[in-house]
Amino acid sequence: MELRIEQLSKTYSNGVHALKGVSLTMPTGMFGLLGPNGAGKSTLMRTLATLQEADSGSATLDGVDLLRQKEEVRRMLGYLPQEFGVYPKVSAETLLDHFAVLKGVANRGERKELVAALLRQTNLYDVRKKNLGTFSGGMKQRFGIAQALIGNPKLIIVDEPTAGLDPAERNRFHNLLSEIGENVIIILSTHIVDDVTDLCSNMAIINKGEVLLTGQPKKLITSLAGKVWMKEIEKPEVADYRARHSVISSRMHMGMVVIHVISDTQPDASFVQAQPNLEDVYFAAIAAHTTPVNV
Amino acid sequence: MFTEIFLFELKYRIKRPATWIYFGVFLGLGFLMMFATAGKNDAVSVAFGDSSRVLANAPYRLLQLVVSIAIYGTLIISAIVGNPVYRDFEHRMHPLMFTKPITKFGYLGGRFLGSSVIAVMVLLSIPLGLWLGTVSPWAQPDKIGAFNLMAYITPTLLFIIPNVIISGAIFFTMATLWRSMVPNYVGCVVLLILYAVASGLAADLDNKTLAALLDPIGTQSFEEITRYWTPAEKNTNLMPIGGLVLMNRLLWTAFGLIILGICFWRFKFTHVLSDRKRKNTLTPQQEDLLLLAEKEAEAKEEKQRASGQRFSFPKVALNFSAGQTFRQLLQLTRIEFSSVVKNVFFIAIVFAGMLFLFLMSTQLGKIFDTPVFPVTYNVTSLLGRMFGIFMLIVIIFYAGEMIWRERGAKMNQITDAMPVNNGLFFASKLLALMAIQVLMMVVVMLTGILIQTFSGYYNYELDLYIKVLFGEKLIYWWLLCVLALFVHVLVNNKYVGHFLVILVYILFNVAFPNMGLQHNLFRFGSDPGMFYSDMNGFGHFTGPFAWFMLYWSGFALLLVVKSNLFFVRGTETAFKVRRKLAWARFGGSMKLLTGAGAVIFLGTGSWIFYNTNVLNEYTTGKETEKELVRYENTYGKYRHSPQPKIVEVKADVDIFPESRAVKVAGTYILKNKTKTPSDSFHVQYVSSITLSKLEFSRPAKRVADDKKLGYVIMKTDQPLLPGDSLAMTFALESKPEGFTETTGGTQVVYNGTFLSSSFMPTIGYSEDAEIGDKDTRDKYGLPHKPHSPSLYDTTTYYTNPLSADADWIRFEATVSTSDDQIAIAPGYLKKDWKANGRHYFNYKMDVPILNFYSFLSARYEVKRDKWNEVNIEIFYHKAHAYNVDRMIRSIKKSLDYYTKNFTPYQHKQVRIIEFPRYQAFAQSFPNTIPYSEGIGFIANIDDKDPESIDYVFYVIAHEVAHQWWGHQVVGAKTQGATMIIETMAQYSSLMVMEKEYGAEKMKKFLKYEMDNYLRGRSGEAENERPLMLVENQQYIHYNKGSVLMYALKDYIGEDSLNKALRGFLQKNAFQAAPYTQSLEFVQCLRKATPDSLKYIITDLFETITLYENKASGFTSKKQSDGTYKVTITVEAQKLRADSLGNEKEIAVNDWIDIGVFTRDKKTLYLEKHHITAKTTEIEVTVNGKPFECGIDPLNKLIDRHPDDNTIDQAKQYVNTISKKK
Repeated sequence: MELRIEQLSKTYSNGVHALKGVSLTMPTGMFGLLGPNGAGKSTLMRTLATLQEADSGSATLDGVDLLRQKEEVRRMLGYLPQEFGVYPKVSAETLLDHFAVLKGVANRGERKELVAALLRQTNLYDVRKKNLGTFSGGMKQRFGIAQALIGNPKLIIVDEPTAGLDPAERNRFHNLLSEIGENVIIILSTHIVDDVTDLCSNMAIINKGEVLLTGQPKKLITSLAGKVWMKEIEKPEVADYRARHSVISSRMHMGMVVIHVISDTQPDASFVQAQPNLEDVYFAAIAAHTTPVNV
Repeated sequence: MFTEIFLFELKYRIKRPATWIYFGVFLGLGFLMMFATAGKNDAVSVAFGDSSRVLANAPYRLLQLVVSIAIYGTLIISAIVGNPVYRDFEHRMHPLMFTKPITKFGYLGGRFLGSSVIAVMVLLSIPLGLWLGTVSPWAQPDKIGAFNLMAYITPTLLFIIPNVIISGAIFFTMATLWRSMVPNYVGCVVLLILYAVASGLAADLDNKTLAALLDPIGTQSFEEITRYWTPAEKNTNLMPIGGLVLMNRLLWTAFGLIILGICFWRFKFTHVLSDRKRKNTLTPQQEDLLLLAEKEAEAKEEKQRASGQRFSFPKVALNFSAGQTFRQLLQLTRIEFSSVVKNVFFIAIVFAGMLFLFLMSTQLGKIFDTPVFPVTYNVTSLLGRMFGIFMLIVIIFYAGEMIWRERGAKMNQITDAMPVNNGLFFASKLLALMAIQVLMMVVVMLTGILIQTFSGYYNYELDLYIKVLFGEKLIYWWLLCVLALFVHVLVNNKYVGHFLVILVYILFNVAFPNMGLQHNLFRFGSDPGMFYSDMNGFGHFTGPFAWFMLYWSGFALLLVVKSNLFFVRGTETAFKVRRKLAWARFGGSMKLLTGAGAVIFLGTGSWIFYNTNVLNEYTTGKETEKELVRYENTYGKYRHSPQPKIVEVKADVDIFPESRAVKVAGTYILKNKTKTPSDSFHVQYVSSITLSKLEFSRPAKRVADDKKLGYVIMKTDQPLLPGDSLAMTFALESKPEGFTETTGGTQVVYNGTFLSSSFMPTIGYSEDAEIGDKDTRDKYGLPHKPHSPSLYDTTTYYTNPLSADADWIRFEATVSTSDDQIAIAPGYLKKDWKANGRHYFNYKMDVPILNFYSFLSARYEVKRDKWNEVNIEIFYHKAHAYNVDRMIRSIKKSLDYYTKNFTPYQHKQVRIIEFPRYQAFAQSFPNTIPYSEGIGFIANIDDKDPESIDYVFYVIAHEVAHQWWGHQVVGAKTQGATMIIETMAQYSSLMVMEKEYGAEKMKKFLKYEMDNYLRGRSGEAENERPLMLVENQQYIHYNKGSVLMYALKDYIGEDSLNKALRGFLQKNAFQAAPYTQSLEFVQCLRKATPDSLKYIITDLFETITLYENKASGFTSKKQSDGTYKVTITVEAQKLRADSLGNEKEIAVNDWIDIGVFTRDKKTLYLEKHHITAKTTEIEVTVNGKPFECGIDPLNKLIDRHPDDNTIDQAKQYVNTISKKK
């Protein structure tokens, strides 16, 4: 089973070119979509989730045309939108049961069992009778996951699921996702690099509607081996370094600025080699496609 | 701080496009209303009863227009003034705002005042728009008077500004304290209810003041002040700032300020800082528990992981069958339904509606403030009408809520991506909204049953409830549900959606008819009309109604399909994309439904068109007008062509109730009563009836045959010499083909046929058929014509007002009807027999009668009685036996009084015959009185209630009196004709009523008569005439007539008056042309009046005379002999008005009642005094403690302020106190 996206493009009526010929292949397992805010991740996901139209291109899964055979897609889809709400005056159990009906779980007994299992798994069983309006952000997010898992979905799309969760909740969430099994395709969009490192067997980096890089996280990291250099500098020097080197990232560390530079060779003796990680891959990819700005 | 916030609010609002849109809308409304009032156009016009006499920019009219538009302004006030604090919550600005160092006063006060100023500014567009309308090139100069700035300022000061403060305070407070805009919708409803209740209350004369004060918008107080203004006063008088209007405005403004005070008191920044959700959040204990549970679960999970155990979900089977789709639909519908039903505001609106219905039910069917039995049809029609606005509000509002429910909760992306059939979302919303209508109808039904139970009426007729509410009304509301949802789906903006639904509704109901699209086929959800009558049930209306509803259902189906195709699923909102998606969704089932909808819509549409426009003639008002113009232009030249008169009518009338057909075979004997021979005879008949035969007894040919107008000219070979007669035989056939666009004829129906002689052919050109309206005549270049021929033109004395083509006739009729019905015509039943499954009745009149008769047929119960030699018969509908005995009693008392005081009764029977309530009147034909089921058969008269007026008794007495006034003496068809016929019938019935119920009851009755007269003259479209010159104006010949004749009786005494009337009757009864007229009648009254009082004849009958009498105070002193010496100060003013209501004061030289009364209303003194000065002091001695004194205390004279004629101690005390201040 493989989700194949080819040359997907989308321009909004306000002129924003959200997707520019995106082509991706996603095997089973978890696929991470990494990119800054506004990169087009959500557009891509909504398009795959039948909520939005593409201008051109195609997306197929197991012979199902995702862009046209919406009804078929929805039958195998689990979707957690980036931002969502719920009816505040309905209990978690009731609403989940309602969703199960909509997802086609016709048998009442099965539905009951499923709802209970989902609530247990998302740790909401004890509050199942509470109105959703009383839920905290994390609880609501878990409820979102629960509904996405109804009906044995083959394609699960989760858009920025960990945004707003505290570290413990995020951890639990990752565990949950990794439990779901390798036989389905899970597309996880995020702008948190660690999420992808921890969970995904495949990934793509997109920015401004374009795929910058795609592959397995490990291989991508390996490809940068020996090319990432690091140095601690004073804050006023940053601009200067940016002008002379291909700086991919800079962060504050104990009052100094730590910069990472990509270079096949050691830029100068003051740089030390750094162990590359996915963050470097990400920043390198973004930097490579951004016209350098001279300050 | 206050100033800054105030200025910020102003700036913020001025920059909002919405502010300017509102401004534009109201400017446009103002302009349009003025355009319609003063403009020269066919497209839109607003007709006021008094429009031809009152200028379009008269102060009164401006006030009226401003107030009527400003009612809609309430919505704008809700949007503008309700919003400013709520806005901060909505945009989650409040934490930022409230942490700033602002004061409560600065914040609330600044926001309120700022937005109020904006609201006033927006609503100022109304007077501005009206003014623009007056200076626009379309305004007709003769409808526009001189510009008067005050006429624009007064309504602004009195209505616009106070209403912004009042409603603004209420809305502002509700939205601020509740932090939601929804209470404001309820607030609008409550204001609306108060407004409606006030206008409902105002129907009862005793409630006028209460109604005027209760109305939060002020309309009723305005109505109350201006109700008696004449056209002249309307043109010049500014609204006085004082009295009830000022009281109402002050009262409500104070109320508004109190509400604001509450807002200020209850509002707390801290309270506000915590989020509303907090109320619902978990308690700390619960949170701890939750945390604990979470930790446990985590630990468990860890263990599982460690042991390599994988979690697995239970396997479930997915089902996408049709059955599951259906279950999904039910589930979604249930959720939609319950979310509305559980909504507190829905409950509030429904309860408000029920409360409103209860309040309104107290006015149910009242005539003279006397109620009717709450029979089911009356209750359902009241409830259906009154509850409509609530239904409309619920549909419009909740249609929007439903369409936006998922998106409002931000849940749409989840549900939209679920494997649910495309149609389900829309279908479930539609079904839920429809189910809510069912629920509301159940509420209405229960309310109705409760109302009936509370009035002690237990004949519920549940089947009728179900038929009316669920058969007739529900389908209309369902259609509206479809329309509202359709608009909301298409517009895809909740607030614009609400607005557009209202706009579309107005478009169909108001704009289309005004644009020439009057046909019901063009007006969404409309039908020819259903009119239930207890006698005839739904009659023949159900068939056409069903066809129209099927037609609209077809259309609705198309709307449903379109809504479904355009229903937003997913995040695409651009219309281009939605259109593309719609095409993609347009699959098999949608195509099938479209096909079905189109077939139903077009199929039934064609069938309806075939019925209404092919089988029947469909004419718009304009076409009818043009035909009338053609009539006048083509045949008007025969206006004075001498025509013979009918002297005998013989008719065989076959009524076929089942097919609503009627066949007439008749013979007229025509006699040349002129002095010249004539050979051309003009015969007219109703053009919708077929004239299948027309023959003269001597050789003649048709020289003109205008089928469209029903006009035939016959020319005899030999002229008919003066004094000669000929027989005209004719046959008429009327058989309804299919159905018509309107309810169609209600003359011949399944049960309750009432066919008057206007169905029969007439002789000669009829000036009455010509267009009378001045403006319309102008439009077609026709010269103006007087409303009535002049009283002083003796040539008009040759025809009587009941029929122009006959004097007195011999009459015989054989009427047949179906087997189970009784047919009636004037005359005496000579023979009745059954043949061919039909029932035949032969009636023959033994004395000459006027050419004015009718044929009736229905399934009747008959109650018989006798008065001396006179047979009394009441033919009534079985369920309507309530007042039959009362009617018989009234007939007997009437015959008693009239035969004793006037002349003998010319007939030997009196028959009352009930007919369906399609028309609400009673009419007196010779010894035969048809009486509508709508005005008395179900009256609930409580004889013990001193306030209740027995109008059943009164109407019968009035109609019986017509056997004298109308059927003995008829008078000439000229000005003043109805004084002899109607005023005298009024006087006669008043006397019978007074004998039966006492003088005290008359007081209340006459109060209504006085009020109706004064209001009638206020709305006069042309000229008010003195009674002697009355031109068939009902408010004069009935209402003023009652008051004046009662006063005359008071002045000259009942006996001398009746003696004069008897003399007049004896002289003129059954006279042939020339007929008597009001000149002679008034002369006769004058003769009966003593010289000292002769002036009253001029005042009462020959002029329009009004008084402004007033008691300004009195003192009393106990004498040693136990009597009291009372000194009363009275003011008297006498006015003469011209036909437009311009008044001139004349000297008082009158005999007027002076009265002294005790606390329990006993009369201590009541005598006429000669009043000659404006202010007079009168001293009288009485045997008892005086409490109330006055001039004309019983309101016998015409006076616009009858209440100040008397003054009692309490009133006097209040006056002295307020003077001291």
